[in-house]
Amino acid sequence: MSPSIAQQVSDIKHSDVFNKICELLVPYNPKGKEILNHSGIMTDLEVDSTAVFDLIMGLEDFYDISIPMEMVSDIKTVGELVNAVIQLTAQS
Amino acid sequence: MGIFDKFSTLKSRVDLVEKLGVDPFGVKFDRILNATRGLIGNKEIILAGTNNYLGLTFDQDCIDASIKATRKHGTGTTGSRIANGSYDEHVDLENALAKHSGMESAIVFSTGYQTNLAAISTLAGPKDVLFIDADSQACIIDGCRLSAAPTIRFRHNSPADLEKRLIRQGEIEGGIALVVIEGMYSMFGDKAPIKEFVEVCERHGAFLYIDEAHSFGIYGPTGCGLAEEEGVLDRVDFISGTFSKSLASIGGFCLSRHKDFEITRKAMRAYMFTASPTPSNVAAARAALDKIADKPELRENLQARAEQLHAGLTALGFDLCAPPSPIIAIRRPNEMIAASEWNWLMEKGIYVNLAIPPGTPQSSSLLRISLSAAHTIEDIDLILSGFAQLRQESELVMARAQDALAAQ
Repeated sequence: MSPSIAQQVSDIKHSDVFNKICELLVPYNPKGKEILNHSGIMTDLEVDSTAVFDLIMGLEDFYDISIPMEMVSDIKTVGELVNAVIQLTAQS
Repeated sequence: MGIFDKFSTLKSRVDLVEKLGVDPFGVKFDRILNATRGLIGNKEIILAGTNNYLGLTFDQDCIDASIKATRKHGTGTTGSRIANGSYDEHVDLENALAKHSGMESAIVFSTGYQTNLAAISTLAGPKDVLFIDADSQACIIDGCRLSAAPTIRFRHNSPADLEKRLIRQGEIEGGIALVVIEGMYSMFGDKAPIKEFVEVCERHGAFLYIDEAHSFGIYGPTGCGLAEEEGVLDRVDFISGTFSKSLASIGGFCLSRHKDFEITRKAMRAYMFTASPTPSNVAAARAALDKIADKPELRENLQARAEQLHAGLTALGFDLCAPPSPIIAIRRPNEMIAASEWNWLMEKGIYVNLAIPPGTPQSSSLLRISLSAAHTIEDIDLILSGFAQLRQESELVMARAQDALAAQ
């Protein structure tokens, strides 16, 4: 892990991850739906399963973590995804 | 709340596609005439979507072997090999597959789907980590879901991305890394850079499992698949495949260079708790394996037809997903256009596959063609003339689709 990333994840905040997810969701949200913590990623935001995995891979690369497939299938909302990223960065 | 209410979204989507004509996912053939022709009613259809790559389903030796095995052992096995015993056809086919591939161990399964389900879910235990290609097909994903191991996906066909994730994972305490890829991917027909994957796995001490369902029988000097074609078959830990494509039957197999793979027969639930393949199926696959070994001209004709069709469709201006292979996928703008065109082609007597999301890479809508060594130059010309006409009449096809969708 590079020092800059290590520094970044050591004091990672909910809002930072949330903003990163919003940024990564832009290409999959052509209607510009409002993204909230409780927004269902596939239900409210209508992001399909292929795009969800692109989003996951984007987060994995940015935070240098691995989000296992079985964890992804339990994540329904943007807030749950934020929490998963924070949990995994704390472990790495 | 009804038990089927959860399928209402899916049902609306199916209803919409059915408005365009025939249900693309429920086609019924009244008779299959040979490897390249079928009948729906009295209408003759050219088959260009059956994965019958070597065209052996009507090979006389395969048919004779199948009939002989049925007469010898009956129509069904009525149980699993663990509980009810094996027949000599099962053991003979396993020995032949191991010998043909130079592998130490071979296990035969009842379907290709069950092969990956059984092997992957069992080979990866709770302390292990699975790494799978992002475009893996359903039976690989389901095998991972059944496994107790965490599953990490890497970018499609990217050994560099796999390596990054193996490094990120670091040492796996008390466990191993099992990497799963496919030789040729079923939707786009694109091939994995297998040698590079082998090298990454060797650098990191990971085991490599390759599903060659769509490439076994088609590639390699003796038809063992793309690992053989790239000269690295002896460095791959596990090769899986199916009998339902080039081997012209139903069933599947997993080969390993590790003799200890044999012990998993007593641990793989999808092997232990299901009926073994019928004598007829196994005997047909065994006869087809001999053809793969003895008839390289089948592979040569298949590749020549693939190049002919690929060049023809490219000249017509279609957007194709991969270089020439027996799978040629044509990218369409959306699923309604793809479904309308699929119906139009069926009306013209050309059967291809409609592939729409989910289950397609990049959420693509595709008209997917799979070719056979039994296709002739004239067959490919016929398919091409259908697509040329489709191109010319695209506005008419869409106008008809809009009318159908607007109708109550």
